[in-house]
Amino acid sequence: MNLPSWWQLEVTAPFKLGPRELPGRIWTASGCFAYGLHAHDFRAADGTSPYLGVGAVVTKTVTPLPRTGNAMPRLVETACGALNSIGLENVGFEDFLANVLPELEARGVPTVVSLAATTPEDFGPLVRRLHEHASGFAHWHGVELNLSCPNVAEGGHDFGSAPATVARCVAAARAWLPDRALLAKITPNVADIAQLALAARDAGADAVSAINTVVGLDVDLRTGQPYLPRRFGGYSGQAILPIALAKVDQIVRGVGVPVVGVGGIAEPEDALKFFALGAVAVQVGTAQMRDPFAAARIARDLARR
Amino acid sequence: MKPSRPATRSALGRVTANALVSSAFLRLDLELDQPFTFLPGQFVMVNEPGPRSWTFSRPFSILAGAGTSLSLLYRVVGRGTAAMASLPRGAAMQVLGPLGEPFPAPVEGSTAVLLGGGVGLPPVFAWRERWGGPRDRAFFGARDGGEVPWEMLGNSWGISVDRAEGVPPGRGAFTGVVTALAAAEAGLAPGDNGVVYACGPAPLLKAAARLARAQGWRCWVSLEEHMGCGYGVCKGCVVPVREGNGIRNATCCFEGPVFDAANLPDLGDPSVLPGTAGGAA
Repeated sequence: MNLPSWWQLEVTAPFKLGPRELPGRIWTASGCFAYGLHAHDFRAADGTSPYLGVGAVVTKTVTPLPRTGNAMPRLVETACGALNSIGLENVGFEDFLANVLPELEARGVPTVVSLAATTPEDFGPLVRRLHEHASGFAHWHGVELNLSCPNVAEGGHDFGSAPATVARCVAAARAWLPDRALLAKITPNVADIAQLALAARDAGADAVSAINTVVGLDVDLRTGQPYLPRRFGGYSGQAILPIALAKVDQIVRGVGVPVVGVGGIAEPEDALKFFALGAVAVQVGTAQMRDPFAAARIARDLARR
Repeated sequence: MKPSRPATRSALGRVTANALVSSAFLRLDLELDQPFTFLPGQFVMVNEPGPRSWTFSRPFSILAGAGTSLSLLYRVVGRGTAAMASLPRGAAMQVLGPLGEPFPAPVEGSTAVLLGGGVGLPPVFAWRERWGGPRDRAFFGARDGGEVPWEMLGNSWGISVDRAEGVPPGRGAFTGVVTALAAAEAGLAPGDNGVVYACGPAPLLKAAARLARAQGWRCWVSLEEHMGCGYGVCKGCVVPVREGNGIRNATCCFEGPVFDAANLPDLGDPSVLPGTAGGAA
């Protein structure tokens, strides 16, 4: 592609995020690339790996205990995106710590660990264990707190939609994470996302990841019922790009905290729009499911030659 | 990662043929930009190339492939397959594969009983092309004679149909379910070391598992699920499998699509309480 004249960033060069230098600015988003271990033997036509030029893999969200996830069906494709209701299926924190993270380290995968918990105070012990266990790891770069997964209702409201809750989660994690990047992934399903970003910044987050999925629903006309057993799902993909850009703009201009842009990115042009608004990095989510090479391709195409 | 699986490639394919092989099934032949190896039972994810393609690629079991050519069998069931059916010669398709757990190769001294139902034909067809021997038996079931790809199957497949109409003159077809045909015609005595390899709709898989249990045979089935990614990362295609005394979710695309029927509670093994592994969380 022809890169615009204003474009000055080097997306595959290291950059500083809080206390940590990360290898690059094009990442894969949580929930769309598992733990980053599935595609190591994949090769593109030119022989390259899906990890080439990728600055970080944000893991599938890990919770204190293993989760079996939601009932099937879990996915609905729509005209311009998809609804998901996976339900945070994951191996659980101890298994992740013992088996998955060491494997990522051994393979040299730049990793940001996504964590979720049911109470803000649960984040402290998780991050503490992570820090104790992996402080010597060269490729573990940070933690992203999943404060916005709409598929796991706690007490009937979206966890992380209250600024005070965001602040408590970030503060609990920050206390045990002195030398790695701390990001808060925040929900767009609120009146004012800037308030969430502000709470995260003031509690010590190095950046916010924006946005998580947008609450959506689709109806199966054959039955007259929602496709998803839990009715609502997280809407992602092409359709949410303008929504994500708007939220990122509100945060960048209103709060002044570094933003990692995520939502609807499938092409280099999509990523450029987030960078144009001031994002320091971007994440590729749904497109990575369709094409394991999507993030690598974007990194390659945005590299200034 | 299981090293036994051929490496997954992202390839660009060009359509060389895309036509009906029966009243219901189309065969798509692609010429890829790189060589491609696969094992029977594996599948590919296909999509239109470019930025604004379908949100999710579509999974298809591999019918045949050698060198840079790849063939798929499909029927039109939704938006993706409808778009595929209108692809002209020369159209480009993005292909990711091979993916998934293949069927096991034949065991010395065993006799394969291959069961294909409808568009579930490709994995068992590919098994037979790759590994089939003179003792192995292959059976295909369809709704009626018009659905059967007679030319592709030749004379060596037993054919069953739900309804007898559409069977060409000079060709025979059993009226009834394919497992009943296999039970009657496999020519195996109880105690013969039969191994069932099956792919098709759920009732066929249940009947295949039942047949195998009754005969004391091993039974491998290839499951179909809607898939998001096809390579194990999204957890959108899980199926309940037995593990120890419990049931857990397995990804159909990565841990499957081929499973040992004995590990699938949904196929009605009476020693397992049926249930879903999801829902609680």
